Amino acid sequence: MGILKESLKRGCRTLVSRKIYVGLMIIVPLAATFFFLNLMDSGLPVPVPVGVVDQDHSSISRQLIRMLSSSQLTEIKVEEESFNKAMEDVRTGKTMGFFLIPTNFQEKAIGGEQPTLSYYSNLTYYVPGTMALRGFKTVAVTTVGGMAVTKMVKIGVPEDMSMAMVQPVVVQTNAIANPWMNYNYYLSASFIFCLFAMFILQITAASVCYEIKDGTSVQWLKTAGNNIYVALAGKLVPQTIVWWAVGGVIEVILFKFNHFPLNNHAMHMIVAMMLMVIACQGFSLIICCAVPNLRLSLVLCSLLGILTFSLAAISFPVSAMYGSLGIISYIFPFRYFFLIFSDQALNGIALYYSRYYYVALLVFPLLAISMAWMLKKRMLNPVYVP
Amino acid sequence: MNVFKKIGDWWTDTFRVWRREFKLVFSDVGVLMFFFGLPLAYPVLYTLIYNPEVVNDIPIAVVDHSRTAASRELARMFDATQAMKVYDYAPTLADARVLMNEHKVYGILEIPTDYSRKLGSNEQAVTTFFCEMNLLLRYRTILLALADIQLDLGAKIQTQKVDMIGLPAQGMNQSPVNSDAVMLGDPTQGFCSFIMPGVLMIVIQQSLVLGVCMLFGGHRERLRRNGGVDPLAVDAPVSATMFGKLMCYFAIYVPLVFFMLYLLPDMFSLPHIGDPWQYFSFVIPMITASVFFGMFIAQFVRDRESTMLVVVGTTMIFLFLSGLTWPRFAMSPFWQLVGDIVPTTWGVEGFININSAGSDLAEQRTPYTMLWILAAGYGLLVYVLRRLARVKGGANRA
Repeated sequence: MGILKESLKRGCRTLVSRKIYVGLMIIVPLAATFFFLNLMDSGLPVPVPVGVVDQDHSSISRQLIRMLSSSQLTEIKVEEESFNKAMEDVRTGKTMGFFLIPTNFQEKAIGGEQPTLSYYSNLTYYVPGTMALRGFKTVAVTTVGGMAVTKMVKIGVPEDMSMAMVQPVVVQTNAIANPWMNYNYYLSASFIFCLFAMFILQITAASVCYEIKDGTSVQWLKTAGNNIYVALAGKLVPQTIVWWAVGGVIEVILFKFNHFPLNNHAMHMIVAMMLMVIACQGFSLIICCAVPNLRLSLVLCSLLGILTFSLAAISFPVSAMYGSLGIISYIFPFRYFFLIFSDQALNGIALYYSRYYYVALLVFPLLAISMAWMLKKRMLNPVYVP
Repeated sequence: MNVFKKIGDWWTDTFRVWRREFKLVFSDVGVLMFFFGLPLAYPVLYTLIYNPEVVNDIPIAVVDHSRTAASRELARMFDATQAMKVYDYAPTLADARVLMNEHKVYGILEIPTDYSRKLGSNEQAVTTFFCEMNLLLRYRTILLALADIQLDLGAKIQTQKVDMIGLPAQGMNQSPVNSDAVMLGDPTQGFCSFIMPGVLMIVIQQSLVLGVCMLFGGHRERLRRNGGVDPLAVDAPVSATMFGKLMCYFAIYVPLVFFMLYLLPDMFSLPHIGDPWQYFSFVIPMITASVFFGMFIAQFVRDRESTMLVVVGTTMIFLFLSGLTWPRFAMSPFWQLVGDIVPTTWGVEGFININSAGSDLAEQRTPYTMLWILAAGYGLLVYVLRRLARVKGGANRA
């Protein structure tokens, strides 16, 4: 028992010896949490600045403009006279798109000449471009529908009947668990924890491999009575406790103070976070075992950590990726945490459906323990390769 | 004469720093990985991840309470869209929900009992669609498809009705007005086409910052090992040192930028309508600003390895500040200001507009000027900091 206590003491001491540990374990994760939450406070980036080109100047075109400006999604920033000017506004980033009402629109519409309303959305900015597109589409469809009703009433179809004829089928969309379509729920929850996971990878690798670089690994092992498991426990358990505390604080900030959807018992997410911390530490240890060199293991942890943001499929689904790349997504511990988040916190379904994800998170530390002997060999013979 | 000699000496010093820096870069695997590995491999890898561009055939379940020809036709229409496919029919909503919980479907279409009857009696038939909100990209795809289905179905049924009630069908079965959606910059509405141009700029800045910081970390390590003297240092004025280094990085990045900005979009058919001379000119201040930004961050780096701990995490922060994911107009003035002092913010904005929207430098004068201002600002800051360090440290010459 003595060696474990000594090792733990040594682990705590080395943990506070470098400022960067304290910074990356406590300050940066919490600061990043504040950053993401504060940045995307509004939930959706609306209203989107758009332009309108009114070449008709009729009562219908004015009504259209009123509809556009009363829409929740769009805000008319500029009213231009020419198409070219409106395109320039889009190119310079002043607007995210524009609505074009062509010359003689009203006249042609009444005369049955089928004029065309066009709307241009800049999809190089995906989210605001989509918002503009949706706003435009709603206005266009409503206008087209309204004019169709007018036309039918004119030729003698009863008004209620013509309404049903213009839009005979309505598909009501229910966005499960997020009827506000709050974008922040996804971005903040996933990016904060993905960043958190990356820091765990980096710090674990750094704290283990700095010992090898500085040549103190022999002493570290000696403190643990030459037992690699005791040595690792002494080093990593204090870190685990700090990570748990920080992760817990982040979860409280998200779910309690910012009311992120949490449709199941809070323990489901807390346990998931705790398991993810251990899984990331395990993942990082596996890398250290494979490449026990500070530089290389840190490079690998950083590169994989950054790749997690794309490959864990928090924005682009695995099912749409090429199979050979999509499968890689399952080697990242964060992937399982994200799946648990969407099952347990967002959708609030039974724990049964997420059982494998919890189990998967347990595999990483077990794998790391089974590989620890590789690390021991290098620790007894520390060579720094610059 | 003296002035000319000074200028001549300054240039000689610059070239000596340049040559020394080249040697340092090419003898350090870590730096090579950041300067070459990152810009060459990451863009390709990222493009491969997102290359499928759109989400197709999202599986949905149908709960058909109506069980009529009309309801089956509706289900077929859902199946026929690019966005969705019918994975299975479920007898009740609860059964469909189980399918959804098992992640087999991501949407449920529920057709009410009176669907066909309402259509027949000229009433509006309301159907319900439940959408899983795990990924917004799926929701977006489904939502846009639903709007199209409603319009198509409306037109189809309207034509039938008009025929049925014996109105003069001519001119009736067509809408009085058409509408036409045009997608600018990213006409396929693809995810890769949207994100890659911005990511390229972030890769340029971050790889430069990482490399510059690691080189500086190496310098600090040499100082510590050799009792405050760096044996590889070149005795040159601060300005010559900074300029020599900048020239070295430029020489390395010219071919890389050609690959990233010119070849890569062609390789993967990404939006690429900008004039090469416009974006190559645009990228000059981008690289300059990134190098000086890197030298500034390097002041906080103690050794080679801590570079990664300090810099890698900032990538995501810079990505968000640039407005690629969350537009800048929706940010608070404070975060806009913070974004203003990061080169990528302007790099992303300018390059996307030139590359994807076909803009030119004159229209991108704001980001272009801002990048030069940042380059000048960080350059000056680094100059002052290095000068102060020399006054304090004596032989401390990077």
